[in-house]
Amino acid sequence: MTTVNIITQGRRKRRPFGSQGVGTAAPYIIPALLLYGWFLLYPMLDSIRLSFYQWSGFRTETPTWVGLDNYKRLFTEDAVFPTALLNSVIWVVLSLILPTVIALLMALGLNQKIIGRNVMRAIFYIPAVFASITVAAMWRWIYNPTLGFVNQLLEAVGLESWTQSWLGDPKFALASIFVANIWQAVGFSMVLFLAGLQTVPEELMEAAKLDGANAWQRFRAVTVPALRPTTVVVIILTIINSLKVFDLVVGMTGGGPAQSTQVLALWSYTQSFTNHQFGMGGAVATVLLIVTLAIVIPYMAWSLKGEDK
Amino acid sequence: MRFKKILSTAAIGAVSVGVLAGCSGGGGGADDENTLVLWSVTQETTQRAAMDAIIADFEEANPGTKIELEERSVDEMKTAMRQTAGTDAGPDIYRYWQGAGLGGELVAADVSLDLTEYYDEYGWEDRFTPTAMASITQYGGYHGVPFIQATEALYYNKTLFEEAGITDLPTTYDELVAAADKLVAAGITPIEFGGTVNWHVMRLLDSIIETKCGAETADALNTGDGDWSAEPCVTEAFTELKKWGDDYINEGFMGISNDDSSQLFFSGQAAMALEGTWLNSQVVDNGMDPAEVGIFPFPTGTGRLYGFGEGLYVSKSTDKADLAAKFLDFFTSDESQSGAQGAWSPISANKNVTPSDTDTLAHYWVDMLADSTGLYVNNDQNFSTATTGEYWRIQNLVLTGDLDPADAGAEFQKFRDANK
Repeated sequence: MTTVNIITQGRRKRRPFGSQGVGTAAPYIIPALLLYGWFLLYPMLDSIRLSFYQWSGFRTETPTWVGLDNYKRLFTEDAVFPTALLNSVIWVVLSLILPTVIALLMALGLNQKIIGRNVMRAIFYIPAVFASITVAAMWRWIYNPTLGFVNQLLEAVGLESWTQSWLGDPKFALASIFVANIWQAVGFSMVLFLAGLQTVPEELMEAAKLDGANAWQRFRAVTVPALRPTTVVVIILTIINSLKVFDLVVGMTGGGPAQSTQVLALWSYTQSFTNHQFGMGGAVATVLLIVTLAIVIPYMAWSLKGEDK
Repeated sequence: MRFKKILSTAAIGAVSVGVLAGCSGGGGGADDENTLVLWSVTQETTQRAAMDAIIADFEEANPGTKIELEERSVDEMKTAMRQTAGTDAGPDIYRYWQGAGLGGELVAADVSLDLTEYYDEYGWEDRFTPTAMASITQYGGYHGVPFIQATEALYYNKTLFEEAGITDLPTTYDELVAAADKLVAAGITPIEFGGTVNWHVMRLLDSIIETKCGAETADALNTGDGDWSAEPCVTEAFTELKKWGDDYINEGFMGISNDDSSQLFFSGQAAMALEGTWLNSQVVDNGMDPAEVGIFPFPTGTGRLYGFGEGLYVSKSTDKADLAAKFLDFFTSDESQSGAQGAWSPISANKNVTPSDTDTLAHYWVDMLADSTGLYVNNDQNFSTATTGEYWRIQNLVLTGDLDPADAGAEFQKFRDANK
């Protein structure tokens, strides 16, 4: 009897299976879990598995085990992979700076009581609703060297020497695509920041004003800490979305010119589905997964630790 | 309470089953045993009308049968065929390029049905020209039926040539460059290309390689084990390509597609276009007066004409091979092809069909083919897709000035060696 007591004392109180517990939640979670497992988890794990094989993707051919050969080739022989990796990293860094800051500024501005702010909020959010491939098609026309808006505008104001082949010149292509990305991405982050700004405690703001703090001091001392949970969400979503950028690149340049706008997600796709090298494609996808986890997990751990304080 | 729980569990269970059932996905081929699915590249008005007419005639002659035609752009067609290979989602019949890197790849992947028994049954070998048949039998057995024997050359705008003072058509490469210089001097864009699709400018590179290397070396490089890093003609070819990109091709070509750049030719803003037999009908469809247009072969000096073949293949995964063969027999018959009036190509693969009299540009091709000693094929049909991707990358790096033409050959050979 004594033994039993010691054991039960060591146990935590078990969660009830009944009316308030897992049993009630399970029927609602299971369909989503099934979808998630079948469409996300399984392909992801299969991609990693395929990275150790050589396979053309045709059902008529069986995959051949090659171990780490694909990774070796990726880092030593693949002429496009370094560019894709660098472009992906540049994309993430720029995404964390430009669209995020612009979104925050827009949210701060549209949080003020100004005429037409709801209309403006809607206008700035609309690009986020468009399918990426539509955005790509639109901006491809905007950048058209002869008929596009950008070059025509430059010519109209007498800046003809500034006209470029925005998508055809490797010097400008990636930046040009990134501008389209800012246009599309800013709305969503702005909405998140706007929601976060509603949680800024009014009393603290008033108190700060009474203490004589100027706008910048109030922003730093009151707004930023209150926005912290929102900022974490925005940053994580920005990192993840920017690492998997695909639609804009494939729609605007297809990775060109001369693979100069190639990014990891598109290169993985190209290797697998166009070049019929699923092993190499899987290796690129696995590298992308590792890079994503390496950035997101430490960041989440650091920010959650900060919240516990 | 208990009933509610049972009900909710049952409902969730039903939803899950529904979700998973939906996951198994529908196939692309038609289920009806008298319906054939035919995939083709997107066609211009005249060509589409011709295909629809033949399909309508077949359906009339064979009541109960239906042919469903699906069209896709060039690149989407290649992607779709590759993605559906080995699955049931593919078509019954597909129209495809016959070269080793495209049609040949699908043959190697067991996508194409060997049609030997149908060639015997219908006697097709007697229907087609030897050149056309060579593309069918090149992989062993009989794969596909010949559809188009496409040849490519330089279309030019007669008025613009006159304006620039070009009186004789170039017969050598140097004369071609001289003509381009004259056009530039007259303020006219000599030639148009759309760089984003890669295979458009590739035609120029392929032709310059043929010119600078000669037929034998070019063949060794393109379809054999030639060493791109060892042949001086390769560096010469890439140097010439850079020159064309800098001086003679429409400005900003690297950022536009071939559809956009072709409009420059159709609207008289560019003097030349390196295109193929399909342009005969496209020129008319896009509002040009055919009398304004002339065609001359790219002056490679080897006597060969640039070109490739397209075939209509039957999918191995189809369960309607007999019906497919019947349709193909009807499609390639003298009657159907003559009725099409050369919509797809002025020169038919069917040797009994003569060029249409309404196509005023057809005679150019007849003459050029009669004078040619053979064909050199577009490299994206010779190479595997991975190699083609690298070829295009290097082509574009040279054009943007990011790779020295002297290094291009070695860079390409590095890839070839690593991917043997």
